[in-house]
Amino acid sequence: MKKKVISVLLCAAMATGILAGCAGTTAPAPEAAAPAAEEAAPAEEAAPAEEAAPAEEAAAEEAAPASDAAAGTFAIVTKSAGNPFMDRLASGFSEVIEAAGGTVVRQDPESATADAQITVIQSLISQGVNTIAISANDANALISVCNEARDAGIKVLTLDSDVDPSARAVFCNQAGVEAVGQQLIDAVYDLTGGEGQYAILSATSQATNQNAWIDAMKAIQEGDEKYSKIELVEVAYGDDEPQKSTDQTQALLQNYPDLKVICAPTTVGIAAAAKVLQDQKSSVKLTGLGLPSEMAEYIGDDDAHSCPYMFLWNPIDLGRLAGYASLALYDGTITGAVGDTFEAPTLEASPYTIVDNGAGTEIILGPPFKFDSSNIDEWKVVY
Amino acid sequence: MAGKSGRTISATPKGGMKEKILSLEGALIIAFIAINILGRVLSPNYNLTNVMRESPRYLAEIFMLFGMGFILVLGDIDISVGAIVCLSATMGCLSSNAGLPMGLAILVTLLTGLCCGMINGFIATRFTELPTMIVTLGTQIIFRGIAEVSLGSGGSASLKDYEGIGILRVKLGPIPLAFFLIIICAVVFIILLSRTTFGRRLYAIGSSKTAAKYAGVEVEKLRFICFSLIGFLAGVCGLFILASTYGANTTTGQGFEMEVIAMCVFGGIATTGGKGNLVGAFISALIIVCLRIALGQINMNTQLILVIIGIMLIVSVLVPSFRQKYLALKK
Repeated sequence: MKKKVISVLLCAAMATGILAGCAGTTAPAPEAAAPAAEEAAPAEEAAPAEEAAPAEEAAAEEAAPASDAAAGTFAIVTKSAGNPFMDRLASGFSEVIEAAGGTVVRQDPESATADAQITVIQSLISQGVNTIAISANDANALISVCNEARDAGIKVLTLDSDVDPSARAVFCNQAGVEAVGQQLIDAVYDLTGGEGQYAILSATSQATNQNAWIDAMKAIQEGDEKYSKIELVEVAYGDDEPQKSTDQTQALLQNYPDLKVICAPTTVGIAAAAKVLQDQKSSVKLTGLGLPSEMAEYIGDDDAHSCPYMFLWNPIDLGRLAGYASLALYDGTITGAVGDTFEAPTLEASPYTIVDNGAGTEIILGPPFKFDSSNIDEWKVVY
Repeated sequence: MAGKSGRTISATPKGGMKEKILSLEGALIIAFIAINILGRVLSPNYNLTNVMRESPRYLAEIFMLFGMGFILVLGDIDISVGAIVCLSATMGCLSSNAGLPMGLAILVTLLTGLCCGMINGFIATRFTELPTMIVTLGTQIIFRGIAEVSLGSGGSASLKDYEGIGILRVKLGPIPLAFFLIIICAVVFIILLSRTTFGRRLYAIGSSKTAAKYAGVEVEKLRFICFSLIGFLAGVCGLFILASTYGANTTTGQGFEMEVIAMCVFGGIATTGGKGNLVGAFISALIIVCLRIALGQINMNTQLILVIIGIMLIVSVLVPSFRQKYLALKK
């Protein structure tokens, strides 16, 4: 009897739930409803008001009420929460979009996994945003959800870390993979003095960009006799967590007493390794990719500092570039095809042109920038 | 409500307890309706189509809920299911990429889950002195380790046969296949636990293993079956994860075990064994899914959503015990 009552109640509840869901989009949307409501409103109001720009209207697709950025919602999905690099990306992105009058939605996944990013992107599709810029945690796992977004009329682009090229319009690359690989291997060559052991401290084992750089380093090393005397002993993975990166650095020091250089192509890893090396007064030298503000106290040419020099691009600029690319995709200036050009007024290298990197289309921000004792003080206050 | 003609299935003998369980389910149903109304009010995009489109990842997780319910009723716990999901999805993906037809790859996925469950069951029943928490902690590391080794240095595998796996993505209107399977599973497992001798024996074991043994219940055999079952269901979960992400990576299924246990506990199943039922657990799973989707749609910070769910979990465990104290005072 009891069970029957329960099951009837259960059925009723589910039916109510489904009906509530079916009630359609005409249900009253209260003022409290977030950005999506604002988006729905202009769809009706903007139509008559926007007569002035018929040409632009033709370019805009489906749900987009008008190609005016003010009516658009532009999303950015980071790799993880509490990551300073991601914060800089998002701030650059927001700055550009807000200057154009658009609405920014920033989402951090609950953990640094592709699964968590899928959840977030699914939610953005429901909200009907106009573009989504993603820094991917996995190149393959996001293909399916990116295709779903595209089917829903949303423009998908990536920045910092790419997905499979088939699943996005364009990739905003901080620097060509080759250029980064070359610069890192040259730094290792220089710091080892041309011979000896070095190790790499990376992020997660499936991080797209780190793997691409490491592969490029290996390929350059194999292809050139010059690098034959330096030996890569291990690629360790600190998962972009400070504690795990610290542990991995200590393990590297213990396992390889002859180690000369650690190369950490990730901002979290390099900061953790720098602290370990400096605290232990180790003779092992460090290079890689790091944030100037976090690395300032470790950069110097003498033995008291663990990192003689390192590289990075400006993450705020990369965020800005993705912002401009989002706007350009939204108003139809670019489609993601090779040769498309768009303006990025606050960036020096504007205008940018989409190029082919062999696997897919990308926009390259510029070459990586070298930070050493001569310029670190000036940059540490910037980012 | 009392008349069950002697076939009282409720785990506990006291009438007061029965009342409590009934009211818990009633409260959960009200909460479920409230969450849906809330979602509707908060987000204009909260409708059937969107909820169903966002649901596959969560639905995959709910498959394991039923197995976990059995395990918890037994007084055991299985924290290796997340790793089993990862391993079975990995095996399915790799075997399909190696040229197996999709039907066989699906079979490989399910069998991998089943085997992992049987390994858990074997260790847990052969070495009864080991707490199952420790057993499955060990196998969790082993299963995930095997998956990581199989995935190789990239740590990620992508399914090449998109079309083949499409049969798992079919939809009837907006409603995905997984949803129908979940409903079928819910009916089967709820009946199995609450209406059959098998189910009653699980409660008996959960209440007192020794007493159950003396009463002639084949304790270890039933535990083995339950561990195998949850392994298999984790395989089903892995299959649907594979279908929704077209691949597997080293973080697939991470944290699923705790989310599933949370859903069970939220629904009134005690981790100490012998208490609660799957009806409550199933409704609370739907509540958590709807809440996460609704809050996601208003762009609430994802970490904040976790905080809210954590608070709800603790409150849901506390409320019944407060209620009981209150009732005792009134008497």
